[in-house]
Formats: sequence, C-alpha cells, structure tokens
Amino acid sequence: MDGSTPSLDDLRLALSLFRDPILCAVVAGAVLGYLSVLVILRRMVFVTAALTQSAGLGVALAFWLGIHLGVALPPTAGALGASLIAAVALTVTGQRLHLSRETGLAAVWLFGGAGAVLVGSRITQEAHDVNAILFGSAVLVRPLDLWLVVGVGLVVLTGIVVARPALIFAGFDRDGARVQGVSVRGLELGFLVGLTAMVSVCTRALGALPVFAFAVLPGATALLAAPRLRLAFPLALVAGASSGGLGYLLAFFLDTPVGATQAALALALALGAVPLRLVRGEAVGGDG
Amino acid sequence: MSAPLLSCRGLVVGHAGRPLLPPVEIEVEPGQLWAVLGRNGSGKSTWFRTVLGLIPPISGQVERADALRIAYIAQRMRFDDLYPVTVGEVVRMGCLERWGRRARGCYDRIERALEATGATALRDRTFRSLSEGQKQRALLARMVASEAQIAILDEPTAAMDSVAERQALELIDEVRGRFGVAVLLVSHNLAEARARADRVLFLDPDGQRVVIGSPREVFQDEAFRARYNVGAP
Repeated sequence: MDGSTPSLDDLRLALSLFRDPILCAVVAGAVLGYLSVLVILRRMVFVTAALTQSAGLGVALAFWLGIHLGVALPPTAGALGASLIAAVALTVTGQRLHLSRETGLAAVWLFGGAGAVLVGSRITQEAHDVNAILFGSAVLVRPLDLWLVVGVGLVVLTGIVVARPALIFAGFDRDGARVQGVSVRGLELGFLVGLTAMVSVCTRALGALPVFAFAVLPGATALLAAPRLRLAFPLALVAGASSGGLGYLLAFFLDTPVGATQAALALALALGAVPLRLVRGEAVGGDG
Repeated sequence: MSAPLLSCRGLVVGHAGRPLLPPVEIEVEPGQLWAVLGRNGSGKSTWFRTVLGLIPPISGQVERADALRIAYIAQRMRFDDLYPVTVGEVVRMGCLERWGRRARGCYDRIERALEATGATALRDRTFRSLSEGQKQRALLARMVASEAQIAILDEPTAAMDSVAERQALELIDEVRGRFGVAVLLVSHNLAEARARADRVLFLDPDGQRVVIGSPREVFQDEAFRARYNVGAP
C-alpha cells in the first residue's frame, strides 16, 4: 500500500495475514452478540463494561509481571483472573455491603480502567500491545488467541443456547421460576461465568472497546428490529458477527483503527434498527 | 378428607429474626380455595414467600406432600416488562425443569392450558402488551401447563376493574374445578372472598392475631370486623 485507499486487490494479497483476525472478530462478535440479548434483558450492560475493563487491567498486569518481576503469566490468564475477581466483587458489593448495584459497578469499572492506564504507564517495552488491548487497535491475532476465542465461544454458546428458556424465565419472573424448581442462582452464576470467560479471551485477542461493543450493541439491534424474542437471538448473532467481520474490512479500506471501526459499525446497526422499532410499535395495556 | 398437600406447623414468619405474626397452623387439601386476607402491610406477601421457601421462617416448618408441584403468580409489578415474551412463551415456562429442559408432553400441556383458560387467541401477543385481565389469563395458563397441585396467587386481581376482577375469579374457580388445583389467594375483595373461599386465613399483625376458619367463622370474628370496619352480620 502506498498511502492511497486500499483496493480489493490489496485485500486479496493481504488476506492470508488478515484471515485469522477477521475470523476471530466474526466468532467473538457472533457469540458475544448472542449473549448481548440476555445482557440487555438482565440489565447487565454495565456489568459487562466493568468486566471488560477488568480484563484489560488483567492483561496489562500480566505484561507488567513478566517485564518487571519475570513472572510468566499468560495475558489471557491475567484477563480471566481479573475479570473473575471483578465478577466476585460485583456480587459481594451488592449482597454484603448494602450499596446500590451501580456503586459497585462504578468502583469496579474505575478500578479496571484507571488500573490498566496506571499499569500501562509503567510498561514501556509493550506499550503498543497494552494500547491495542485497551482501545482495540490490534490488527493481528495470535493463533492461540484465535483458538481460545473459538473454543471458549463454542462452549459458552452451547451452554447458553441450552439454558436460554430457563434464563428467560428466571429473568422475566424470578420468584415464579424459583418456586417451579428452576435453578435460578445456578443459571445466573453460569451466565456470569460464561460471559466473564468470553469477555476475557476476546479482550486479549481484540481489545476492550470492540468487546464491550459486541457484548451490548447487537442485542440492542436485535431487540429493536425483531418482533419476537426468539428471533432476537439469531439476529443478534448475525449483527455481532457482521460488526466484527465487516468492521475489520471497513477499517482496512478506510484505514481507521480496527476496534473503533467495529464498535462504530455495531452502533450504526443499532441506530439503523430504531426506525424499525418505531414503525412496528407495540400497544401496551391491551384491550381488556 | 384428603391427605394435605401442604401443612404449616407453628409457622412464624418475619424479617431479620423478628416475628411479624403469631404461629400459623394450616393444612391445605386438594381443590381447596384459601383466601388470605389482611390489611396492607399485614405480612401476606411475607407469609406467602415463607411458605414458598423464598425466605426462611423464623420458626416452625412447612411440610409438603412428596413431589408437590407449586405454581406462584406474584404481584403484577414483579414481572419484567423488558422481556418481549409472547403468551405462548410464558405458558411454555410452565413446562420448564431445573436447567431449562422441557418436561415430557410439553406441547400437549401448553395447548390444553391455553384452551382451558381461553388464552389461545392471545398466544402470539407479547405479555407486556396485554391488559391486566389478559395477563392473569396467561399466567393461569402457565399454572395449568405446569400441572401444579397448589397455586399461590398474590393479589391477582389488583389493578382490575370490578368486571375484570369477577371474570378473573371465575376463571380461577373454573381452573380449580377442572384440574383439582388447591388455590391460596390474596385478595382485598371481601365479598368475593366470602362467596368463593372454602377457608380463610386472616392476618392481623397489629393485634398479633391469626384467624383461621370458614368464611362465616372468620367474618364473624371481632378482630376481623374491627380491622375492616364492618358491622355485625
């Protein structure tokens, strides 16, 4: 490329290089997109934000430990550990400290965000990697990260597809589900663990910004566009996968940062679905 | 007399270790309609939630028949309107088991429940778009689909006009008669409770009394009459 707008031929030439990151973005977008319907319905949008920030801090800490203390902690393990700690912290602040849920979310989100920047400022050797993780400007994806995203994604997606009816029941009518014998707490814990795992591996591979976007916006798109909940899930999967894959291609052709372009495309799809919702409408209150 | 489905033995309910009401001793038999009465804040919901095992009792115990199936229809504000679930999906929830697996014969149960409650025409409507009367119809259909032996209904007719309330109570009676379900019902409509209930449980935390008996017995109780400001029968 010579500084002019890249052509399709340029893409064809570079496809072997870009195949893995595109595939990774498609899988991450699809799985997180599917989960995002439940993230929105369960009012966990800012839980996801806090988990994503914490995963970013975990990756930065893993780099810092390796450089300054010689501790070889894989960044994905750092991401998973930090976001699991964040998930536990979110549960504890709500249940034990009698603080509002938002207070705990804000504290964890700020801890993750500020911590990642502070730790990142102490890493000179890997500054580019840390930056890529925080802002999602990573152009390439390591094969291990791709396989982790695909493997964890398959496991999480399978689990959520199987448990989806019960998760919807537990969210729609928590007490009714508990009385009927549905394992509400087990399902909620499973969903949080699955979301945390997916966010962790995807944050290491793609960066915090696009991961947060995939974990929220496809669900918004689908809930706005789909007339029924059962259609919202496949639609969110497609919207997420499209945001990941097409976002990467757009970034290539427009020469823009990858993560920001993917997030912007996910947002554009959600905004594009708003008129559909307004046109469809939905009477509330019935006719007696 | 049938074997009780559910028995409360010296059941004391309350919050943070503090009893709200005296001990309650009741036995619920198949097909019975219990009206649970009490003024606002009298602990009806706390009592229900304790019976359901959602909150622990202060003392005493709740004994259930083996493999007892219970359905709970909470107060209307406890259903999350963010979920765009259809009536068909709500009824299907009645067939779900522990981890979301559908029970055997689920589809037949759904069809039968929709037909029995007259909710077939509502199947594709979103729950949140329904009137209060239609919502109760859908929730009763879910209860039928669950094949519950006891249904606990917490103020199912709140926010309904008198006609819709009567229709809802008639539907509950119909479902109870057809499927032999025992129903525990919180209501503020004394006339309907008196006319329809087999047994009445009156909760009076201010006077620290619990009155249990037939509608006639409870409605003649002095504490009950004083709380509701009703004259002599």
